[in-house]
Amino acid sequence: MKFIKNHLMFILPLMAILLGIEFYLVFDRTTDTYEKGLKESYTMLVVSKKPVELSTFQALNKHISSSEQIAREGIVAEVAKGVGKSTSKAIIKALPYFYNLGLDAYLRSSELENIKKDLKADKNIKRVETFGGSYNSSYRLFSFIKFTLKVFIVFMTVVSLFLIIKQMEIWKYAHKERMQVMEIFGAPLMLRSGVLFKVAFIDAIFASILVSGIFLYIKFYWAAQSGIDMMMQNQAVLFRVTDMGILLGSSLLIVIIAVYFVVFSNKGVEG
Amino acid sequence: MSNVIQASNLTLSYDNGEKEIIKDANFSIKKGEFVFITGPSGSGKSTLLKSLYGQLKPSHGSLVVGGLDLSNIRQRKLQELRTHMGIIFQDYKLVNEWTVGKNVVLPLMIAGYSTEIQETQARRLLKHVKLAEYTDKYPLELSGGEQQRVGVARALAKNPVVILADEPTGNLDDYSSNVIWDLMENACQQLDTTVLVVTHKIPTIFSLPYRHFIIESKGVYEVH
Repeated sequence: MKFIKNHLMFILPLMAILLGIEFYLVFDRTTDTYEKGLKESYTMLVVSKKPVELSTFQALNKHISSSEQIAREGIVAEVAKGVGKSTSKAIIKALPYFYNLGLDAYLRSSELENIKKDLKADKNIKRVETFGGSYNSSYRLFSFIKFTLKVFIVFMTVVSLFLIIKQMEIWKYAHKERMQVMEIFGAPLMLRSGVLFKVAFIDAIFASILVSGIFLYIKFYWAAQSGIDMMMQNQAVLFRVTDMGILLGSSLLIVIIAVYFVVFSNKGVEG
Repeated sequence: MSNVIQASNLTLSYDNGEKEIIKDANFSIKKGEFVFITGPSGSGKSTLLKSLYGQLKPSHGSLVVGGLDLSNIRQRKLQELRTHMGIIFQDYKLVNEWTVGKNVVLPLMIAGYSTEIQETQARRLLKHVKLAEYTDKYPLELSGGEQQRVGVARALAKNPVVILADEPTGNLDDYSSNVIWDLMENACQQLDTTVLVVTHKIPTIFSLPYRHFIIESKGVYEVH
């Protein structure tokens, strides 16, 4: 019972960190599609006195990735119904040129303002509409969720790391006698700490398998039967084979950091 | 003959020099010598022994063991020096989760000898201390005298240059004590190992010529 408790005290905080990492990976992948959608659906409107090429826009700001001229005939047809052909032509001639500009990334509102400023530096550009209001609110919500998740994961990692180090100190104390004897007979630090590495590595592998198992269950059973559209649509990205490697690598790295911290924070064990 | 241990104005203390145990001690011990260090309880016998295997650094003076000055030694060098020492403790300091065989070959394991060599040496050493049939037993299954014989076998495992023993028979009956003294005498005679024993009482059965130091009022004096 004590043996199981000792290992659970190490495995559970490690699992908390690994769950955090995996949640972040899954969140990042599922929101990536959403972020792409936001980026692709977003355009800013530019009104220019003269026709402007994409390269000209790009020379003004490198974030501009596409430009689409809005047909002026369509605008006139909408606003000048029932007017004669010649009047219509005169209106078209008098109208400026309208462009929808696409961006290469999902940018912050301050960056949108910079683009606006850059575009307005061109004397031919009369007006730039960024639709900053609606863009800003969806971006802020999105950023807030991402930031909250990051903060939560970092906080959980720090707390869990402390618990792992505490447990490792208990192990160190449990193996003190052996480590002390080995030190007296000249065993180097790595050799006498070998027992800590061994136990911690086994638990790290165990924790990685457990977390992978949880996510595999979520992917193949829970997500498929959940009835939640977002889950069902993104089932493929819920857990990937590479995640298993990331989890194992992360857990081993955490273990190495924790063992080094415990071993080097109090080098000697001699009584 | 060269000195294996050389102390010059050696001062040992605890609490950053506040609690002085040994002050300005001068002595030297040659290769192959058998030396007893005695003194009343709390005189600093064990402290002196600790300093000889580098667990306590001299606060003043120098202490050279095997050509290395322990007052100014790097951790790696100290580890290396310890692999040439055999240390015997009153409380045996065996690893209770390990078999007797594994305990005995600890110095060989640290030195990186192969498992085959370790097994062969474990058998040879345990036969030497008359515990051949105990290889797979655990220390707590053995009597105090037997455990100390395992301790002696471990100390001899790597043919050490020096054996340091801290009250090796302190917890043993007369019969077991005599066996231990025999083993240490043999090591000194046959392997030319320097043996330094800290004890409160020199055994009466001892047959080898030996030197005797006494620790008194913080000083280390040779008894003639």
